[in-house]
Order: sequence, then C-alpha cells, then structure tokens
Amino acid sequence: MTPARRPGAAGGLSRRHFALALPSALLASGCAAPHRGTGRPGDPIELTLLSHYASGELKQALQGPVDEWNATHDRVKVRTKAVEFTDLLTTFMVRQAAGQGADILHPYCLWNGQLVRAGVLRPAPPEHAEEIGRGYGEAAVRAASVGGEVYGYPTEVQTYALYYNKRLLRAAGLDGPPGTWRELEEAARRTARRDRYGNTLVQGFGLSTYDDSTTVGQTLALLNSAGGRFVSADGRSTAIDSAAGRAVFGLEHRLVVTGASAPGVNVYKAFPSGQVAMVISAGWWTGSLKELMGAGYRDVGVAPVPVPEADGRRATLSTGFMLGVNAASEHPREAWEFLRWLNTEKVGVQGAGRGAAATRMSALQVSVGSLTGRADDMRTLLSGGGDPNLRPFLEALAYAVPEPNVPGAQQAKSLLRKNIEALWTGQRSVDEALRTTRRQVDQEVSRSW
Amino acid sequence: MVNTLAPETAGQADRGIRYAGPTAAGHRGRARRRQTAVAYLFLAPTLLFFAVFLFLPLGFALLLSMSRWTGFDLGDIEPVGVDNFAGLFADGSTFLTPVLTNTLLYALGTVALALTGSVLVATCIDKLRFQGLWRTLYFLPIVTTVVAVGNVWKYMYEPGGLVNGVLNALGIGSVAFLQDPGTALPSVVVVQAWASVGTAILVLTAGLKSIPGSYYEAAALDGAGPVTVFLRITLPLLRPSLLFVCVTQFLTGLQSFALIIVMTKGGPGDATAVAALEMYRQAFSYGDWGIASAAAFVLFLVVLVVTLLQLLLFRRKGEDA
Repeated sequence: MTPARRPGAAGGLSRRHFALALPSALLASGCAAPHRGTGRPGDPIELTLLSHYASGELKQALQGPVDEWNATHDRVKVRTKAVEFTDLLTTFMVRQAAGQGADILHPYCLWNGQLVRAGVLRPAPPEHAEEIGRGYGEAAVRAASVGGEVYGYPTEVQTYALYYNKRLLRAAGLDGPPGTWRELEEAARRTARRDRYGNTLVQGFGLSTYDDSTTVGQTLALLNSAGGRFVSADGRSTAIDSAAGRAVFGLEHRLVVTGASAPGVNVYKAFPSGQVAMVISAGWWTGSLKELMGAGYRDVGVAPVPVPEADGRRATLSTGFMLGVNAASEHPREAWEFLRWLNTEKVGVQGAGRGAAATRMSALQVSVGSLTGRADDMRTLLSGGGDPNLRPFLEALAYAVPEPNVPGAQQAKSLLRKNIEALWTGQRSVDEALRTTRRQVDQEVSRSW
Repeated sequence: MVNTLAPETAGQADRGIRYAGPTAAGHRGRARRRQTAVAYLFLAPTLLFFAVFLFLPLGFALLLSMSRWTGFDLGDIEPVGVDNFAGLFADGSTFLTPVLTNTLLYALGTVALALTGSVLVATCIDKLRFQGLWRTLYFLPIVTTVVAVGNVWKYMYEPGGLVNGVLNALGIGSVAFLQDPGTALPSVVVVQAWASVGTAILVLTAGLKSIPGSYYEAAALDGAGPVTVFLRITLPLLRPSLLFVCVTQFLTGLQSFALIIVMTKGGPGDATAVAALEMYRQAFSYGDWGIASAAAFVLFLVVLVVTLLQLLLFRRKGEDA
C-alpha cells in the first residue's frame, strides 16, 4: 500500500525541508573527508600519495608501480594525487590545515626541517629507519633525516657536476674540462665571446639567476668543493662567512667582472643553443638536454665539479626528495609497508643483464633519467650502457654533501640567492655579501627554531 | 498577511495618538522590533557574506599577525604579542629597506608615469576624431592578462630583445634592463604604467567631456594660449578625475605582485622585491604566517596613510574632490 501524500510534499519531503536540506547536504559533502576506509580491522583501506609527479613521463612512471601494488594487494589500495612542484609545499599546507593531508607525502628534502617542526612528518619506525640507513648513501640518508632521526625513504637524489660543451672548449684550444678553479677561470675567459654592443654570444661559465635552485645550487656545489658549508653543524646559523665562502664569492665575482660570465642569461636556454661553454647543474638535466638538443647532445660532456687545488678532495652538492608518512595518517603501518615495498623490495630489471635486480623506485627514477641514493641499484641499472654523462653524477653520490634541511632552510636559501645576485650585479662586494648573508640568514634561521 | 515593512498610514498614526496608552505603546514597540528583525533578515545574506569573506579573514589575519604559525595545523597557533612587527624592523630584516622602499617607489613611479601619460593622451584624444577607437586601442592592455604582458615585456627587455635591438640600431650599447639592479625597478614600473594607462585614459576623457565648453570660449575671448588654458582650466576642473586615478593607481601599485613575480621574481638581489611578494613568500614558501600577516597590516597602514594624504592634498576650500 502506498502511503498517502500530503499536499505539497515531494517524495515525503516538503519544499521548505528540501530547500533547507539541499544546501546542508552540499555543504556537508564539500567539507566531508574523502572515504579512506572505515579503519575497522580487515576493512579496505585507501592510502593517498601526494607528489609533484603531475605530468608526462614522471606521472606514468609512478603510476606503474602503484597500479602493480593495487593489483596485487586486496585490502590496502593506493591512490596518487599530484600537483606541480611549485604548488607542492602550498598544497601540503592547505590540505594539512584543512585536515585533508595525504597519508604519504613526497617532499623536497629542503623542507624537511620545516615539516618536522610543524609536526607534519612521522619519524620512520626503527625497522624502516634501519633499512634506510643500510640501503642508501650517506647524503641521501642525511637529506631524509632531521636532528639525526630518519623521516622517510629517499627517492630521487640529484648531485651537481660540471656540464661542458666539447665543441666550444675545442674551439678555444682546450683539450678537456677543467679540473681546478684556476683552469675553470682560464677556460671560461677563453670561451666567452661578446659582440660590439656588449651582447653575450657565448658565456664562458654559466652563472644564472634563473631560480633559487640554479643560483644557489651552483654556488653551494663550489662551496662544498672548497670544503665549506652553508649551515653550521648545529643548524642554527650559517657557516658561509668563511675562507671557503670568500673563495667561492671571489671566484664568481671575478668571472662576472672579467666578462666570462653573464648572469642575466638563462642557461637552460643558452646551453642547449651552444651559447654557454660550461655550467654547474644537477643530473636531471641530462634527460632534458637529450630531448632538446637531439644530435647536438654528443657535444655535451659532464665532469666532476672542479676543486680549488689539483690535490683537493672532491665534494659537491646533493639535493633530493623523499617519501614520508603524514603524522595525521590513520594508517601509518600500511603506509610504511607500501613504502618499504616500493623502495626496498628488489625486482628483475629488463635490459640490465640476466638476474639483475633493483628496487621499483630506482627503476622508476632511472627510467626518467634520474638517480636514487641506492648506489648498488644505480650501478645495476646503468650497467647496460646508457648515458655515460650520468656516471659523474653517480660517482658523486659517494662524496656529495646534502643540501641543509634545517627549519628555515627555504628562507636561508632565498636570502643566499639574493646576496649572490647582489654580488654578481655589483651591488655588494665579496665581504659585504658574506656579511649580509650571515646577518640575514642567522636572524631568520634562529627565528625558525 | 500583514506587511510589517509598510509605512504607517495617517489614520493608523492618528489612532495611535488618540488611544495612546501602555497597551498601544507596547504594540507599536513590538511592531518596530518586528520590522527591525525583518530588515536584518533581509540583510542577513549580505552580512553573512561580509562576515565570512571580510571580517573573519581580517580577524584571523590580526590574530596571526600576533602569533607564530607554520600554516599546517590550526592547533599550533602560538601567541607572540608584537614580536612579528618587531621582527619586520629588526636588524637584518629586509622589510623596511629595500622591500617597503621599493613598494613605495614602485607605486610612486607608476602613478607619476601613468598620470602624466594618461593626461597627455586623454587631452590629445579629446581633440581627435574617432575618439572611441583611440580609447579602445589604449584600453587593450587592460584586457590582456598580466602574465602575458609581463612575459612579452620581459622578452622585449632581454639583451637580444626588441628594446636593445632598437638601441643597438641607434649605435647604443645593450642595457641589461632587468638584470641590472639600477634599471630593474624602473623597467618594471614602465610596464605597470603602460598596462594601467588605459583605465586612466577612460576616466580622464570622461572628466574632460564634463568640463563646460563656455570656459574655453571665455578663455579664447580673453586671448589665453593653449598652455594657459590647459593649466588654468583643464587641469583644475579635472581634479576629481585626477584624484580618482591617482588614488586607484597608487593602491594598485602598492599591492602589485603578479607583474613583479613574472618579470623579475623580486631580483636581481632585492632590487624589485615588493611587499606583496614578500608576504606571499613568507606565508607560502617559508611557512611564517605570523610575519606575513604582520607585513600585511603594515602595508595596510601605509596604504591608508598614503590614501588619506592624497585626499588631503586634492582637497580645496572645503570642497571634496
């Protein structure tokens, strides 16, 4: 029997009630947390992974292993979410403040201090921390740690080396890349060319104001090669106002003043066009250069970052990302288990010889022209030939110094960049730039603790 | 249904007076309260809008300006009093110089250039045929996105770009417009002025149209030259339009962000760092929402003072422009 309907009622709901219920329902659905499983033992769980692998081959490369996990695991599923790198930190902030933080985060290691201080990252459980310490190089482990505690699995690791254009060096009468700073200056002067109006035709050594990572990365790679450090051992002040810092700033200042460098030039456009003879950059660039330059890539060579003296100990900068678990995640055990599966379990690698095995993450990174901090995997994956230009980056894993990741590291990096630019453009002398960097960075870093 | 918002009729009012007593007065009071309640009910959506999108964020920003917060967890907001304001002006801080100084210079430069240019162009357009066409042409930059404008000008300023190409063709050496700290800020100011001159021209041509022709006829009869007419008639009578353009351009200049981030990202060094960019970086890059909010309030004060000064300067003999 159908119940009698009251006049004006629609499906048992009056218009007034419907009008009140609709916005409430919309509001509730908009504010509600996405379904991630009930959390009851045995019930399905959905983990979210937020990264910057938002487009192209990076997105596909990550989706491959995630699909494999989802196909082979019935209870715990992983869903990837991605934003552009420039929006990554902001997205972490906004989602975390709204209680919508992803279970697994993929931060740039520079932010680790900031994220740990804000209580966003969960320390790795002892068994995972031990596995990370055992399986990765020192630089990668230090980049993924804050205050000596490990917070995640290092993923891509970028080391810095010297890219050079063989053709331009040959044309200047040079047989090979420079090994010392003196040779670097000489090679830069000999290869630099300008027209009669002062326009740069060829930049000898590419100093670039393109972005924080480029400007600061070049300088810190040289600083590390001179035995210097940007941040003090306790992470509460800067150590750049030192003999090594003075030497690096002095070198860059001389290169600009003599016209061997033109910081206004965008090296990412100029180097592939044959307008830069040498430049210090990270390993990820090899992939882009291959695509951009085509056959012209055969002119590109990579060598370790030159050292101040011929008998100097090699060092360079390394930067990287890691996968960590959100402190607010309701399923940390499952999230760590997924990360262990992705980052430590070895699987067979196609095209790398019979029986060759590497982790899924290492295979993923090498497939997109990048490296991980697992030297054994890298040797396996690169053993089947590949790009010889990746070798210096791989070798640098053994001696690279990780980018400081103390609280306030991002701001310290920006302040350093501003002072480097002020030095390059003649606004400040070497000593002034060092003093100002120290004063500004010390004040801001101390505020961040 | 009783219309509670309808005005009382004369008869109702008379009856109210005739039978004025405790019951009638109470009835009127209740009716008035009901009217007030209904009025507020009608205003509620607007008030709610302002509460959610203006007063709530403003209150939150005020709270943050006196707190320390990393932007991740609302439970971590830690009160610090006026420490953030003190930090903005502490030794080593770049907020006062060069950030705030750059902001003022940027706004001042934009206003000066845009105002001068728009007065000249509007005066010329006022004497031309096809005025609508000219106004449209000058207004075109306004309908173009700032990102496109910034990128096009950036390429024009490049060492091998159009501007340097012209200079080279004239036998002049190249200028590193955006790479030299001495020229970077003026170069961006020129772009901001160029991009905003269209609106100013629209306002000023409307102002010029409202000046009665009889003043010009009288001036012509008295033998006044074009410069005298412009200085003694046109400019004084354009005062209201000029004030509007001046205030709005200054506000835009003080809050400018997009053009700077596209063209220079605040560099080289701190040469083009402005307050809005600094606030954005403090909040979204460095996770220091307290400092960002404090900087926002300092900028608000600067904007308020500058606007009041402009209103004061343009005021004449009790007549508000």
